[in-house]
Amino acid sequence: MTTVEVKNLRKSYDDFLALDGVSLTAETGQLVTLLGPSGCGKSTTLRCLAGFHEPNGGDILVDGESILNVPSNRRKFGVVFQNYALFPHMTVAENIGYGLRLQKRSKGEIETRVFDVMKLVRLTGLEDRLPREISGGQQQRVALARALVLKPRLLLLDEPLANLDARLRDEVRWLIRDLQQQSGITAFYVTHDQSEAMAMSDMVAVMKAGRVAQFATPREIYQKPSERYVADFTGEANFLTAQRVQPVAEGRYSVHVAGADIEVEGVPGLLKNAAAELLLRPESLTLVTTGDTATFEGEVIKCAFLGASLHCEIALPEGGRLKLTAPPNHEVGAGDRVGIAIDLSHAWLMPEVAP
Amino acid sequence: MSMAAQTFGGQRSVNLGFAVLIIALYIFLLVPVVTIVGASLTDGLMIEFPPRGLSLRWYQEFFARQDLVDGLLMSLRIGAITAVVTSTVAMMAALAGQGLSGRLSGLFQLGMTLPLLVPELLTAVGLLFFLYKIELGKTVTGLQFGHILMSFPYAYVSISAALRQVPPSLEEASASLGATGWQTFRLVILPLVMPGLAMGAIFAFINSFDLYTISLLLKPLGGNTLPLALFDFLTYEFKPTAAAAATISILLSIGGVALVQKLVGLQRAF
Ligand SMILES: Nc1ncnc2c1ncn2[C@@H]1O[C@H](COP(=O)(O)OP(=O)(O)OP(=O)(O)O)[C@@H](O)[C@H]1O
Ligand SMILES: [Mg+2]
Repeated sequence: MTTVEVKNLRKSYDDFLALDGVSLTAETGQLVTLLGPSGCGKSTTLRCLAGFHEPNGGDILVDGESILNVPSNRRKFGVVFQNYALFPHMTVAENIGYGLRLQKRSKGEIETRVFDVMKLVRLTGLEDRLPREISGGQQQRVALARALVLKPRLLLLDEPLANLDARLRDEVRWLIRDLQQQSGITAFYVTHDQSEAMAMSDMVAVMKAGRVAQFATPREIYQKPSERYVADFTGEANFLTAQRVQPVAEGRYSVHVAGADIEVEGVPGLLKNAAAELLLRPESLTLVTTGDTATFEGEVIKCAFLGASLHCEIALPEGGRLKLTAPPNHEVGAGDRVGIAIDLSHAWLMPEVAP
Repeated sequence: MSMAAQTFGGQRSVNLGFAVLIIALYIFLLVPVVTIVGASLTDGLMIEFPPRGLSLRWYQEFFARQDLVDGLLMSLRIGAITAVVTSTVAMMAALAGQGLSGRLSGLFQLGMTLPLLVPELLTAVGLLFFLYKIELGKTVTGLQFGHILMSFPYAYVSISAALRQVPPSLEEASASLGATGWQTFRLVILPLVMPGLAMGAIFAFINSFDLYTISLLLKPLGGNTLPLALFDFLTYEFKPTAAAAATISILLSIGGVALVQKLVGLQRAF
């Protein structure tokens, strides 16, 4: 049972402002992901939570109480590092039992609890190996077990999969998510991989230069981004400049885009004639050859045949380009004129930069 | 001829040159050792190489000379205390230096190794005046001070290098698992820097064993270290006893390194 509230957190290194007012919340049992490009302050946020850094301003409340004055060894948070940070001179079992040993638990208790958690992360049989004698994936599972065996109030993971190859990454990712959900531990997870963030989080915080650009569910982050930066960072995206923005209802606008007048949903609160962009995800666009269902017409610039699908880029006569994915049996090539149908319920109007 | 073959040929001649250099270096380093050990085993009356016949009589002679044996015991005692004190203090200094940032850390390093940079004679003269001021002139304690000062940088360099190899994330991991600073030091840092610590202590010991200039100036009343005793001895007699004494020193050094090797493994010390 742990809720976390990060309030307006600020942190500077010398005169460089790494965190410029980060606010986040995590409900009990949620996995909250910090997503963003390199250097945006993800690790710094996590390290403030862990108590390795002292923030310059703001507050961190755990179950309603500030933990800023609690040193990291009394926070009871489990931390999993990108480079595993296993103790190289201790065996796997000693690494996992380290925290219990510090708590002066009996030999028998340590042994059973270590054994149980090793079974949970599927490491049974490796008790007596040294960290350098096991694989990277196994090392990361030891690091996970070492944190979990203490039943931490909060689990903090900083790019735990970054040093693993793609196949292992998948395996360990699901292991982390399963264990986190089974034990109901609240967790913060840092990554710069958007698909990882989408797949395993309850909430995603997209970070931008020391701030949180948007904090929402994965679906919302993807389908209803607050600004172009968020849309760009969360997957393939097409943007078209929208003109004559006209609010018609709360969060609904009529706009003029690439020669067509359409009505779409968008970020609430945009003003009449505001500068805005229309987000069209490639999967909400369909290639059509007849003119009647088409919203736009354009000329194919290039088309790549990928076997299971066709990736095309189309130039619109009014300017702007659209990338889309079509079924492979469409016979189109560069120079062809085509029509494009839009699934308007999945178009999204947003400002280029959030105010 | 292809590029690859040319590069390969070039590579080979570089390797060959390198091998020759290494061999020359080894010869250069080993010749004095071999000569002195050989000379100590002579049956003749002079220090000479190759030895004239083989015997251990000069070792007997060495242990029969009270002044040389006293010098050896004094050097051993001062060296041992130096090793213990310097490695302890250097461990603490290295830990303190670790927390400093950028420029400050550079200055700190410089300060810790200063005795290496200042000529030994200057340090000795300065120390001599200082020790007289605090009424420790011409005492064994004063000499011990000098040895600790001169040997400290060796211990510090070895230990701080070992400490730098320990990733900071290990300390953080340990703290997040509930360890206090002291527990982290005892259970994580100390075992990991042990080879460097032992090596630093050995370096300090060997250095102390070998110090001449500073010992000469701070020489306590009625006491001599082995190098001083040997030099006195050589002033009047040019007998292979000196070679025997030198060989004993070499054996002690090798013994020390072997001990570290046995206890913690030398590869891990570097
Ligand atoms: N110890 C430090 N001293 C000075 N600047 C730092 C320090 N640690 C981080 N920074 C700076 O703070 C900013 C945020 O760093 P942080 O490590 O939080 O980024 P990140 O989002 O985790 O990036 P990455 O994905 O590369 O790990 C970066 O610009 C970084 O250069
Ligand atoms: Mg990081």
